Parts: sequence; structure tokens; C-alpha cells
Amino acid sequence: MQDLVNAVVDMREEDALSLTKKYAEEGVPPLEIMNAYKEALSIIGKRFEDGIYFVPELILSGEMMKAASELIKPLMAGGEHGEEGKKIGRFLLGTVEGDIHDIGKDMVHMLMEINGFDVRDLGVDVPAQRFCDEYEDFQPDIVGLSGLLTLSYDSMKAVVEGLKKIGARDKVKVIIGGGQLDEHACKYVEADAWVVDAVTGVKYALQWMEGRA
Amino acid sequence: MIVIGEKINGTRKRVAQAISDRDAGFIADLARNQFENGATYIDVNAGTMPQREADDMVWLVETVQDAVPEAILCLDSVNPHALRAGILKAAKTPMLNSLSGEQFRVDGVLPLACEFKTDLIVLALDDKGIPATSEGRLEIVRRLIALTRGGGLPDEKLFIDPLAMAIATGTENGNVTLETCRKIREEFPDTHLTCGLSNISFGMPLRSVLNQAFMVLLVQAGMDSAILNPEERDLRGITMAAETVLGKDRHCMNFNRAFRAGKIGPKSAS
Repeated sequence: MQDLVNAVVDMREEDALSLTKKYAEEGVPPLEIMNAYKEALSIIGKRFEDGIYFVPELILSGEMMKAASELIKPLMAGGEHGEEGKKIGRFLLGTVEGDIHDIGKDMVHMLMEINGFDVRDLGVDVPAQRFCDEYEDFQPDIVGLSGLLTLSYDSMKAVVEGLKKIGARDKVKVIIGGGQLDEHACKYVEADAWVVDAVTGVKYALQWMEGRA
Repeated sequence: MIVIGEKINGTRKRVAQAISDRDAGFIADLARNQFENGATYIDVNAGTMPQREADDMVWLVETVQDAVPEAILCLDSVNPHALRAGILKAAKTPMLNSLSGEQFRVDGVLPLACEFKTDLIVLALDDKGIPATSEGRLEIVRRLIALTRGGGLPDEKLFIDPLAMAIATGTENGNVTLETCRKIREEFPDTHLTCGLSNISFGMPLRSVLNQAFMVLLVQAGMDSAILNPEERDLRGITMAAETVLGKDRHCMNFNRAFRAGKIGPKSAS
């Protein structure tokens, strides 16, 4: 299915969709088709890191992937359940209290889903307590905190403190994302990793899950 | 074009360092360069933790007005204590950045603007975020202008920011901003329109070219102020050119004077 991979990588929306249709009708297992998309997405991610692709290419590829999964979902044996079983981890996500920036967060949401995570997105301006409550309910492997303001450091720190209080800090990885972050902020917040773009964040998440498997 | 210089912002690392080191020379240079490149207002954002912000704000105000007494400060904070401290220190009545429909800003920033009759930046967003449509943004602006009028602040004091969202994440984002500009211009002709326009190009290559194109369109949509880096020479040239060809520059005098002063065009031109 190299032709499908290429179509996605080259941002040829219509070709990608018609090839997806063709392979589905020929009886190629849905999982294999989705794997072609995943392969394409990882090439696209690489091009993004290299400064060849930009945010619009990430967004468009996410949309192509979504269209494809809607197309082949009815063909999947066991429907929703079959898909659920393939999730590689749970990811709790939100922009911290006092901040309403959502571009980075939304991009992480999309990319994490594409990479097989079950994502729970709490939205923007999320209080620390809510992260802790949702932690208890959702039991994520990773918590992702987004924030673009200097003010956000304290909100992020409050989430980590909250996770400590409920005895969860050792069981979960915390990753913080935002354009102004650095090593210093990461230490202050006591997060496990800091990133300034969504693609790098997904890399960390995949590494962590591999380490666990 | 009424320029609000954006460079003294504590969320930038080098500026944060200068604030915590009390490096007055660094801040004074930033202020002077922006003023000399056409900024009427100098934005100051301490970008620090709430407990330190008022002190940092006062220091920034002192430092900037010592360096450029002719400029007007634009106090950029959500913290009413820091804003009040800055207002009291400022020799000229400053601009406040900013009011929005978010309740804490309505409670914290609006009363100060009305009390001191300051210029005021008004953002078209509220606690629910930034509306996706121009009509949604306009509704917030209407609500906020009812409040500023109620508080005795004349419309001429307002700098409405219709908000620019990244074109990278939504193909219509530029059009929504432009449409919002035109509607505000029509409904509230006495207000100013301002914009932190570089958001438009977030996540894109060749950001400066996109910013320049957007600027031209914003000028046509009635924008008369911008929050930007005044030292960007190409952006300054294209802005003045747009104003001139749109008949906003009588006998083209601004454009030609800027040219003779070497402020626009290729650096070597004479």
C-alpha cells in the first residue's frame, strides 16, 4: 500500500480517500489500512521536525486520517470494541487554569489519538482539582498539561502537587507543553518532560509506553 | 497607524532576565528603539508571578519613561494591583492592556480604566473563549462597550482587538478577523481598531510575508493601530504604503517623509 502512504504524505486528499476505498473493497483488513496511515503520519511528523512541513500539513493529515477511519469503521469486526482493544495507553490532557490557549493542545489531542492513545481532553482553563478528579476516574498513563503563559507554571505545579497528594505521582508520567517552556520550568513544575511542539510530545509518550510494555 | 511596541514582554526570556536583574540599560534600549521606529505606545508586560508583579511593573514604568519621556506606556497585565501601581507611577496616563469579557478582567481592569480614564485595549473574547464567528465577537464587543460607556469612558479611548487566530489551523481565520474589523468600524466608528497581527502566521513558513499581506488587508478593513515589533522595517514600509494608496495619507506626506528619513524602503536607497 505504498501508493496510499505516498498519497497521504503528499497531501493528496482525494487520492488517499479513493485508495482507502479501493483497498477496503478489496478486503484488505482495516487495521492494515490504518497502519498505512500511521506510517504516513510518522513521515509527516519527521518532515514537520525538519521544517519542510508546517502546522497546516499536520492538521490536514489528521483530517485525512479521520475521514479514512470513518470510512472503514463499519468494516471493523466488533466495531467500537475491536478498536478499543488496540489502544496503547490512556492520556489525560488539558490547558491549565488561567490559560485558554488551545492550538497546541488540540494538535496533541489529534496526534495522540492517531497514535493509538485513548485521549480524554478536559479543555482549557482547567483547575488542578479537576485534573486530579479525572485522574481517579480515568486512570491515565500520562497526563499532558498545556500552557503558553508564564502564569501557567504555577497552575502546572499545582496539578503535580495534587497528583502527589492523591498518591498518584509515581504511577503517572507528566508532560508539559508550551512555546515558552524550558528545562528550568520543567524542574519547577516537577514534570517528567517538557516540549515546545506536539510532535515531540507524542514521541515521548510512545517511548514511555514502549518502556512499559 | 498607531503602533503599540510589543517587545518589552517578560514572557520573552531575555526580557525576563533583564527584569529580574534590574538591567535598566537593556530595557531602556528596547524602549528607545521602538519609539524611534514609530511606536506611540510602549507595551510593558512584567510576565512575573503575582507577588512580584507590582514591583516589577513600577520598575518597568520608571525605566521606560526615563528613557523615552515622550512615549505613552501600555500596561499589560491581568493583575489589578500591578496595573494600579503602574498607573500611579506613570507620568502620562497610560493605556491598559486589556479588558475582555472574562469576568476577572471585567472586575479587575474595567474599574481602573474608568477611574483613571485610560486608553483601553478591548479583546473580543470572554470566559467561553474566542468566538469562531465575527458575529460572536461583535456581541462581546457590544456588551463591553455598554460597560465602558456606563463607566464614563468615551469610545475614542477604546482600542478594540478583533483577535487574529492562526491561519494554519483554520482556513477562514483571516476572514473572520477582517469581517469583525469591518463590522466594528461600522457600528462603533469612534473606537480604534488594533490587533496583535502576527498570530495569523503561527505555525507557518515565511511568517513575515504573511504578516505583511494581512496588515494590508487589515488597513483596508479599517484597522488604525497595531501591536507589533516596530523594528520590522518591511512591515513598516508595507503598512505606510497601504495607508497611502487607501487615501489615508494626505498628499502622501507620511510616506514621502518616512522615505526621506530613511525609515522605509531598502536601507541603501536614497
